[in-house]
Amino acid sequence: MIGLIKKDLLLIKSNIKLLGTILVFYILLTFENEMNISFLPAFLSVWLMFSTFSYDEYNKWDSYAITLPNGRKNTVRAKYLTTIILILITTFISILVTFLILMIQNKAIPYNELITSVLISTLTITCIESFIYPFIFKFGIEKTRIILFGVLFVIGFIGGILIYQVNLNVPSLINFLAKYGRILFVILTIVILFLSYKISEKIYLKKEF
Amino acid sequence: MKLALEIKNLSKKYQDFELKNISFNLPQGMIMGLIGENGAGKTTTIKAILNLLTKYSGEIKIFGKLNKNEDETVKEDIGVVLDDMFFPEILNVKDINYIMKDIYKNWDENLYNKYLNDFKLPLNKQIKTFSKGMKKKLEIAVSLSHHPKLLILDEPTAGLDPIARSEVIDIFRDFIQNEECSILISSHITTDLEHIADYITFINNGEVVLSKTSDELLNNYGIVKCRKEEFNQIEEKDYVKMRKTKYEYELLVENKKVFKKKYPKILVEQVSLEDIMVLMIKGEVK
Repeated sequence: MIGLIKKDLLLIKSNIKLLGTILVFYILLTFENEMNISFLPAFLSVWLMFSTFSYDEYNKWDSYAITLPNGRKNTVRAKYLTTIILILITTFISILVTFLILMIQNKAIPYNELITSVLISTLTITCIESFIYPFIFKFGIEKTRIILFGVLFVIGFIGGILIYQVNLNVPSLINFLAKYGRILFVILTIVILFLSYKISEKIYLKKEF
Repeated sequence: MKLALEIKNLSKKYQDFELKNISFNLPQGMIMGLIGENGAGKTTTIKAILNLLTKYSGEIKIFGKLNKNEDETVKEDIGVVLDDMFFPEILNVKDINYIMKDIYKNWDENLYNKYLNDFKLPLNKQIKTFSKGMKKKLEIAVSLSHHPKLLILDEPTAGLDPIARSEVIDIFRDFIQNEECSILISSHITTDLEHIADYITFINNGEVVLSKTSDELLNNYGIVKCRKEEFNQIEEKDYVKMRKTKYEYELLVENKKVFKKKYPKILVEQVSLEDIMVLMIKGEVK
């Protein structure tokens, strides 16, 4: 299984220049506009993971991988572990970059806010990936992109109506999470990630190539 | 005789295609060639052997172990070349070594490097810059570098020029010198199989039409090319298939010695696997 994780990390490494360029670009934007970019590295991690799925699909790697001694279970496990590794790395980069910017700007570091915003973006991304992965294991990345487009549209539409109807206050939700929900949010994310892993495993064990 | 591979009544149904009761055995130390048209069921059979399919009926045993459970230890001893399925192309051959070290317990870095060297494959270029032949060579190098006991090869010589093909065939011949090692190889290039295969299994329309030793096939079968007058003398039961071309009749004969005895004036020629394949598929039943 370690071999499979190495393969994904090597694929990610090949995109590192592009990743660096995007990061630098956004850091410069932040300097100008004082915007919060703590979400960015987490989003990049999704994009990088998706690219590994795309490379795999393009070269029919999955079929080949199943003929190797890893087995199907380890193939799924390796993808989830790579995702976790990547999320940890990007979270670390998020914190580091934000620290650096604040230090250069000579501003006080709002630890509490910083941790909350990094945590929220990291955990949100983990939940989103957990939601998407079973689709990828079932349909492949290219079909999933199309499905995702539809799903996001529907969620956006219904969500928009709900917020309008129920008069849900999004910032107050974040405040609620910041006050009481950090640990709750972490636990919930881990549960969702684990469920997603189990579903993907079940799908993959039955899949035909 | 120990068997490397046993396939019993393998069946698989798709919407537009069906694999019907495929059965054959590959004894250890032997090479079996799978031949047949595109879409005949060769790749589906190989996929079932490699657990790429999950729903099929029948029984597949590799080294005497049933294949359907999640026992992955058997895969340590199998080397695989599949048609168009391999590593992501932005990796290079060094990356593959770095990955495979952690996949096969017996991965032999020196052997891998030796093959790379023999095949003259560049170390630092991405696989996507390779020609089709170079990619195939790399796949073959990877399949051999963990000292497997069974090679399962789907069209391993496709895309190779004649020189590379003979190099690769020699490597397979060396591999088989160890009596524990066996090869299942599917190919369109039937002349390659004539050179190396001990057994031939011919699949047509999802069914095994023939499964015999190559000696049995090539020594017993014969091809008769004759004119209409000669053809009219031949009884229907004396040939397997017949094909009428513009100028002559081609008949596939199951036992050329018996045929020669009965029709001493009609010439029976040495048959090739290609002749057998073409006549079996295109020929008419009597």
